[in-house]
Amino acid sequence: MARPKFQVGDTVRIKDRTTLFHTRTQKFIRKRVGTIVEHRPEWVIPEDEAWDRMETGRKEPFYVIRFKQTELWPDYTGLAHDTLETEASESWLEAVKG
Amino acid sequence: MSKVRYESVMTADRNLAPAEHEEFDSPYTIPNDRYAALTTILHDVGGEPDYPQALYGKGEEDWEMNTYLTCECLAWRGAWNAEMRRRAENDLGKTQYYGFPYYGRWITGAARVLVHKGLITTDELGDKIDEIRARLEKK
Repeated sequence: MARPKFQVGDTVRIKDRTTLFHTRTQKFIRKRVGTIVEHRPEWVIPEDEAWDRMETGRKEPFYVIRFKQTELWPDYTGLAHDTLETEASESWLEAVKG
Repeated sequence: MSKVRYESVMTADRNLAPAEHEEFDSPYTIPNDRYAALTTILHDVGGEPDYPQALYGKGEEDWEMNTYLTCECLAWRGAWNAEMRRRAENDLGKTQYYGFPYYGRWITGAARVLVHKGLITTDELGDKIDEIRARLEKK
């Protein structure tokens, strides 16, 4: 098991990478800043699993990341403290100093 | 395929084609933002503009559950995994992705993996579809 690079409570930004053919990292979280709230087990990343690479695919730690809804949707009309949680693998995340 | 059916298929197919055409249907160059839009991953629909939809309950039909089981058995026997199935749905392209029923996307992906693995040929599959269609049209 690789040691997770990020810890619960860390602030991270989701990278906006060109994705061809398949990914599970949603458009609406790209370039958005959130907080790690949970570790998930290391697993083959979907970008490799989707190409029949269960045995040979790259494994990475996964994280649950919590975003403020107001961070995701510029015209969000709900409560200011509303949040959304989703998951991403480690290579999608970059540290945000703060 | 009968003449009447051919005509109706061609009419429906024409209606799926783009209403507006560029000077070239396959242009020599496209701008980067067009490239980004065209390569958007189809199942990533969160946040896309849409209008309110009525939510209604619908029971599962036999063909839908048979599709589900077929896809699970293919995974169990190592032909694919759930992520490959999702990718196969994206690979359908926008018209079929949005045009097919939910489990229509699954079963088309399953058919493709069966052909890809050499477990069935496209003409065997096509002949079976034609046989069943003929049977159902007789009823």
